[in-house]
Amino acid sequence: MKRYDLIVVGAGPAGLSAAVEAAKYGLKVVVFDENANPGGQLFKQVHKFFGSKEHKAKIRGFRIGSQLLEEANNLGVEVVLNATVAGLFQDKEITVRIKDSIQHYKGDAILVATGAAENMVPFKGWTLPGVIGAGAAQTMMNLHGVVPGQKILMLGSGNVGLVVSYQLLQAGCEVVALVDAAPKIGGYGVHAAKLARTGVPFYLSHTIIKAEGTDCVTGVTIAEVDKTWKTIPGTAKSLAVDTICLAVGLSPMAQLLKMAGCIMEDNPKKGGQVPVCNAYGETSLRGVFVAGDVSGVEEASSAMIEGRIAGIAAAEYLGYIDKAVLTEVAEALESALSSLRQGMFAVENRGKNIEKTDEGYVVSQHLLKKGYFQDAEVEKYPGVTRQPGVHAVIECSQNIPCNPCQDACPRHCIKIGDKITSLPVVDETANCSGCGMCVAACSGQAIFLVNEGYEAGYASITIPYEFLPLPGEGDRGWALDRGGSKVCAAEVVKVQTAPVFDHTSLLTIKVPVAMAMKARFFKEDNCHA
Amino acid sequence: MHKCTEVIIIGGGIIGAATAYYLALQGIKVVVLEKSDNIGDGGSSRNGGGVRQSGRDPRELPLAMYGVQNIWPTLSDELGMDVEYVKEGNLRLGKTEQHLNILRNLTKRCVDLGLDVRMIEAQEAREICPYLSDEVIGASWCPTDGHANPLLATLAFYRKARALGTEFITGENVLEIKKIKGRARQVITANGIYEGETIILAAGYDSRKILGTVGLDVPMTKISLEVLVTEAQPKMFGQMLGTAMADFYGHQSKHGSFVFGGSSGFEDTNKNNGTPITASITAPCICRGIMKYFPLLKDVKIVRTWAGWADISADKIPVISPVEEVPGLIVACGFTGHGFGIAPTVGLLVAQLASGVKPVLDLAEFRYDRFKAKI
Amino acid sequence: MHNVNNRSRDIGEFVPAEDDELLICRCEEITKGEIRRAIHDGMFTLTEIRRYLRTGMGLCQGQTCGKLVKEIAARELGLVLSELGNASSRVPMRPIEMKVFGNEKEPGENA
Repeated sequence: MKRYDLIVVGAGPAGLSAAVEAAKYGLKVVVFDENANPGGQLFKQVHKFFGSKEHKAKIRGFRIGSQLLEEANNLGVEVVLNATVAGLFQDKEITVRIKDSIQHYKGDAILVATGAAENMVPFKGWTLPGVIGAGAAQTMMNLHGVVPGQKILMLGSGNVGLVVSYQLLQAGCEVVALVDAAPKIGGYGVHAAKLARTGVPFYLSHTIIKAEGTDCVTGVTIAEVDKTWKTIPGTAKSLAVDTICLAVGLSPMAQLLKMAGCIMEDNPKKGGQVPVCNAYGETSLRGVFVAGDVSGVEEASSAMIEGRIAGIAAAEYLGYIDKAVLTEVAEALESALSSLRQGMFAVENRGKNIEKTDEGYVVSQHLLKKGYFQDAEVEKYPGVTRQPGVHAVIECSQNIPCNPCQDACPRHCIKIGDKITSLPVVDETANCSGCGMCVAACSGQAIFLVNEGYEAGYASITIPYEFLPLPGEGDRGWALDRGGSKVCAAEVVKVQTAPVFDHTSLLTIKVPVAMAMKARFFKEDNCHA
Repeated sequence: MHKCTEVIIIGGGIIGAATAYYLALQGIKVVVLEKSDNIGDGGSSRNGGGVRQSGRDPRELPLAMYGVQNIWPTLSDELGMDVEYVKEGNLRLGKTEQHLNILRNLTKRCVDLGLDVRMIEAQEAREICPYLSDEVIGASWCPTDGHANPLLATLAFYRKARALGTEFITGENVLEIKKIKGRARQVITANGIYEGETIILAAGYDSRKILGTVGLDVPMTKISLEVLVTEAQPKMFGQMLGTAMADFYGHQSKHGSFVFGGSSGFEDTNKNNGTPITASITAPCICRGIMKYFPLLKDVKIVRTWAGWADISADKIPVISPVEEVPGLIVACGFTGHGFGIAPTVGLLVAQLASGVKPVLDLAEFRYDRFKAKI
Repeated sequence: MHNVNNRSRDIGEFVPAEDDELLICRCEEITKGEIRRAIHDGMFTLTEIRRYLRTGMGLCQGQTCGKLVKEIAARELGLVLSELGNASSRVPMRPIEMKVFGNEKEPGENA
């Protein structure tokens, strides 16, 4: 039977990372993936990633996928696409459906990196066409170039719900409402703020009562819920939508491991049923490893590190490296992994009510409920300063593992320090050149350049802008505040695009100086055009 | 120690559940102990659902015929839920003259015992089931055979027995039967001790090690058998199907899916890793077998395969027997992969043994002590 | 004794609910009410519910409804999710046509 040192099931971030790492140590590796494209979820991720340089921060997800694939190819890893692994059997044998046949392979080690599948939530009408998973919406848009609908309701305010809502806006859809039964936004505040300033309304403590329509979704009824998740009478409201996206979490796709007889555990913090495994991802079956979402739902960044650890562990298991090498390399990777798992959004903090940042700053409740800061709140964060002349205003208020802004500034105006989750601090003594590198580098689009002395009575604000068509210099329109309300007329005075910005354009608008700390988005006024 | 009950049944499969039901009908207090967390987790939910008389060992045939005549036709009504019993006959197919010889032999010994079963030509077989391939040259035909849904039949007995007051306790691994003052009385599990005036052992292959605790043995092995299930299709045919070479067997369920069992030829020697895991080569082999007889099914999707253990007795028929040397003990095991169709009959007979009523059928052939050296 | 193991445990009467008509298993079209009723008929495990009603037995093999059925069962039985265990997973991971499943090829052979 055809045999490899390592068979990897799933060419997503975890699987490809494992394959790359194992191949570096000389293992003969094959990767099977049922999709036509490699990269798993990475190829749908058009947004810039969080993290630090070593986690490929500020790089858009799909580019990370391409990089990994290229590395794998260069190392001689065979990546077989359109190849569905049908079963995992005794003696580390798999069967793979390739075209119209079934083929048998054996691996001296096997890594299962099959990822996760979207959860659903049932409500009246949930089986109508038009109710889809947020991931499905992302696949339609970003892989197939099809918008799922025109008027969208997103259920779920975790990062998936927030990121996909933003991508829906980018694709030209209207996000009519972002709804979550929880009383607080579950994902990063910066992701929420990106939506709020375009005018997307947030309905926290709300749930879907029913999807309306007979043949497809034509509307939705939502209502407020109390602390016990019961709907409050009299709060129901109907919204006209044609699509309801569900972003209510993911469940590990651990079927192959279950059918092979791995010992499983039920772990709500990992998203459901996962194989029991050791620190290197080895399951109860010797030589069968797991990495990525299948072993516990997390982010792609952590999946890549887990994959690398499992790849190295497979190399050690097969005698390609000594235990000492494994221990040393894995230790470094584990520390990188644990740095990603720090901060307010760490697994152990899920469900906790965190009122202050590590530094002692009060977390904005308004941000958590509405998706944006009240004007007065924002100025107390260490990234927000009032200075004469152009300077960065960093509206970053949560301890999340991300630091590209620190590296982006050529003049070292921005300091995060060694702890990746610390809030960025703007150094008032450093001299901002207004280059905008930080604005484009911030994956959360939370950095603005403000110049209150732009010209008499007017300030300029440089905002990150990722929508098409891109406004031109001289265009006039409205400045929107953080909540998406029009606050004043605005004129585009500069538009910068550069390869280094990677498709984040910098739009500089001119507004009355009183609006310098209010206006955060630009909306073209088509009547003026 | 749990309070003493009238009857303890070890094994919550269809034999245990059916026995419990017939005992509960008489108002007898029964406790059923099942090792798995699930009722009917062994062969009871891992079989092809045949309710077949043809092809049976002559010693077992009366049990099958009794069930088809007296129990199966009214079982759904009796148990208050549809067990999907369909009595549209059994076709056993042959593709070669050698196959037909096998079928003739099987047929003759059943005819001798009064079963309506006969050899038919290919054309008649195709009139009964129009989807057969041209390779089929003849078949044996038993019009009173049929099939039922083993998952539902097992759970229906359980549900009704439970409603009648039988206590079912799952996750209860029986370690030992202990004699007290000369009678089988205590059942010791990982969690505690149960006491019963009568103990019925119907635990499939696991019966063997439990029997060992009272100094008994039934010679049997266990083999792993596999079944596959397709997506639902519009109704095509109602017959139970088999082949002379046992390439596959099965039927179309009420739901529309086809349920086909089969073998790769390595069933006796398959490696056991502790879970009934399927072998990589079996389902493809069953598929090839099916397509030779039913080429029309080639585009139908397989959604699931599973494996299960069958307890194969040394002479290929079960033990259904009181154990006089261990008074109070009754054994029902070793069903050898064809226990489902006769399970209701066996449940009735074992219940009769346990309640001191003369069984409606003679059980002499199924004695526990029938296994003798060959010379 | 574990909570699912005593099948005579009193879980109360089946009480009809307003959302009993809600479809839970889309492949096999099983409603929430049918699932709740099955539990009151004595089907205390996900495996039994599945065998009794066919939840999770369709084309998606429980990928969508598995978690939903589990939540309904846990609530009805008064258990936390982890006490319930899970239904099994089976080969094949995705439905495969019989002609493909039966067509075994050596790797590298033209498929």
